[in-house]
Amino acid sequence: MDLAFTPQEQAFREEVREWVKAHLPEALAHKVHNALRLTRDDMQAWAKILGRKGWLGYGWPKAFGGPGWNAVQKHLFEEECALAGAPRVVPFGPVMVAPVIMAFGNAEQQQRFLPGIASGEVWWSQGYSEPGSGSDLASLKTRAERVDNHYIVNGQKTWTTLGQFGEWIFCLVRTSSEGKPQTGISFLLIDMKSPGVSVRPIRLLDGECEVNEVWFDNVKVPAENLIGQENKGWDYAKYLLAHERTNIADVNRAKRELERLKRIAKAEGVFDDMRFRDEIAKLEVDVVALEMMVLRVLSAEKSGKQSLDIAGLLKIRGSEIQQRYSELMMLAAGPFSLPFIQEAMEAGWQGDHVGAAHCAPLASTYFNMRKTTIYGGSNEVQRNIVAKTVLG
Amino acid sequence: MDFDFSDEQEQLRDAVRKWVDKAYTFDDRRRIVADGGFSPSVYQSLAELGLTGLYVQEAYGGMDMGPVEGMVVMEELGRGMLLEPLSHAWMAAAVLQAFAAEDLKHDWLPRIASGEAMLVLAQQERGNRYALHTCRTTAVNNQGAWFVSGHKSLVPASDHAHAFIVPAMVQGQLALFVVPRTEGIQTRHTYVSQDGSRMGEVLFENAPAQLLNLQGLAGLQLGVDVGIAALCAEAVGLMEKTLSITVEYMNTRKQFGVAIAAFQALQHRVADMKMELELGRSMSYYATLKLNALADERTLALSRAKWQIGQSTRHVGQEAVQLHGGIGVTDEYIISHCFKRLTQMEMTWGDSLHHLAHVSNHMQDTAGVFA
Repeated sequence: MDLAFTPQEQAFREEVREWVKAHLPEALAHKVHNALRLTRDDMQAWAKILGRKGWLGYGWPKAFGGPGWNAVQKHLFEEECALAGAPRVVPFGPVMVAPVIMAFGNAEQQQRFLPGIASGEVWWSQGYSEPGSGSDLASLKTRAERVDNHYIVNGQKTWTTLGQFGEWIFCLVRTSSEGKPQTGISFLLIDMKSPGVSVRPIRLLDGECEVNEVWFDNVKVPAENLIGQENKGWDYAKYLLAHERTNIADVNRAKRELERLKRIAKAEGVFDDMRFRDEIAKLEVDVVALEMMVLRVLSAEKSGKQSLDIAGLLKIRGSEIQQRYSELMMLAAGPFSLPFIQEAMEAGWQGDHVGAAHCAPLASTYFNMRKTTIYGGSNEVQRNIVAKTVLG
Repeated sequence: MDFDFSDEQEQLRDAVRKWVDKAYTFDDRRRIVADGGFSPSVYQSLAELGLTGLYVQEAYGGMDMGPVEGMVVMEELGRGMLLEPLSHAWMAAAVLQAFAAEDLKHDWLPRIASGEAMLVLAQQERGNRYALHTCRTTAVNNQGAWFVSGHKSLVPASDHAHAFIVPAMVQGQLALFVVPRTEGIQTRHTYVSQDGSRMGEVLFENAPAQLLNLQGLAGLQLGVDVGIAALCAEAVGLMEKTLSITVEYMNTRKQFGVAIAAFQALQHRVADMKMELELGRSMSYYATLKLNALADERTLALSRAKWQIGQSTRHVGQEAVQLHGGIGVTDEYIISHCFKRLTQMEMTWGDSLHHLAHVSNHMQDTAGVFA
């Protein structure tokens, strides 16, 4: 047992830190450190910088042009990026669909799709949830009917994150109504420029349009865009879920945001209020405990000696912590978090701030973070899963 | 960064587990509580297993093991809800080895390791709550010999201890002494505590004492930190046991025609218990792996861990009783004993709010395990 990273791991961390420091544009880091609005160009600029280094697909094996890092190296990379103020890698391409294409796609699909994902050129979206299928995803109804060498897709997806920028979308579609709902689902890649695809942004409670509805009206999709076998899509989706284990806890971002919370609390004068500071102290312990849980999972993955049944806990705890730091930041600003001036969340805005500039995005972020205990399998669904492993 | 146990550590775990299963069953424990909450023969068994000398260096006849081995042992003893104050032997050994002069080490360490001498900390006083830096007990030097006077409360197995580690004030500064239980010491007032373990009041009246260190605060802080790390591991072992008893009960107890494990309202409570157990275990690892850090870093880490363990033990204990229903509040069934032991842990070595205050008053700009 040892808490310290090995000298090799430390050296790796230093290498990543130096590289990020040299390549992350300062203006971008400023936005991230202050929760200012990120544009599509901001996100894609960073993706392309990573892509040129071969690090956008940082979880990829060498065989597919990735760096071939182990679980600990991936974690250190994520941590260095997060602490430096890099935008989160938009996961749909490099983290979500790429591993499925690698595992279940054919060679032609791999050659066709992976380079655009690795370079950050092509923006991918995820088409899973539907209006009637949230936690009960397997009940999804979007139909894909095979007609000659095509599928004709009809239906509606929703909560498609950043889908307004999407060029391609990977979808779970119903290809059969026989048997259990899970057994009639296929995994289909769809060009969002295809005739019949329409996207409508959904305005959320923070005033932003982070998610979308996506309609498919007789969309013609070449059969060669089917991943793996027809009606096996549910298995591929589950494989994907198993792939994003520790990442979902987002502990590295929590560390960065806790530092920001302390800065804001000091600037607003509440850090010296014992009652308020104690709330930060509790969160600080929560973050340490979450990080220890993440490290335990990473250690177990690295050595293969222990099987830990705590991955489900990471999502629950990580999302609760995200909500808590956003809540405390808003409370630190108090009434100055109340003005709803969206322009004030733009970097370089020249208007009159009400209160300190750092107050402007705090309430919006708090409202936005309510999503974290809902998405990715709601925390109640996660508790069902945890209870099942405990109760047998 | 590695959280695997070595083969030797796993063997140690097995040995202690076997001893608990064989020699420290719930019925054995019940008998000890009825006899006053301490068993000299159990303490001897622990010594024969080498456990009283776990931290004692080989030169003094101990096993010279580290915090990870201590954690492994305490997790297993936690499952048995050990009443005997083993962690005080570790506390004494750690403090003596780090802060005492050679003759004092030679005097006590071999006897701690062999079990011949049981040393416990006599620190608590009325009015000083969890403060370590001061107390009312005083020590005076008379022609080269030290004498301690004062009243210490809640001293574990006080009438069985052979000597006490005693903080006492010397000219306004906290010093540490070893005070053998001989002349000038009264240990008449003893009692069992809520978890069944034995405690007592100790009156020192010009009791002859051996000076451990005049700068006593650093040693006392180390001792308390060793105690916290041991307690965290003990709590993890007991929470694991408490959860597994609760799960077994839920899978057998039927209401409305089904096992109560089938009810989602109860399932979610189990998921939350599992969460608190694993958060606690994570912080127990953290406490253990920070025990050899520099003093300030160590003490901050141990306070962080104790806060989490306080939350975890309270949650797991209360929920276990709730999920058992009526049987959970009986004395007959084991779960109420688990609950009381878990509850007592929160008030031992400084309670949750005390440690939260330390965390709150020592926050840095950075955050996380490595900050």
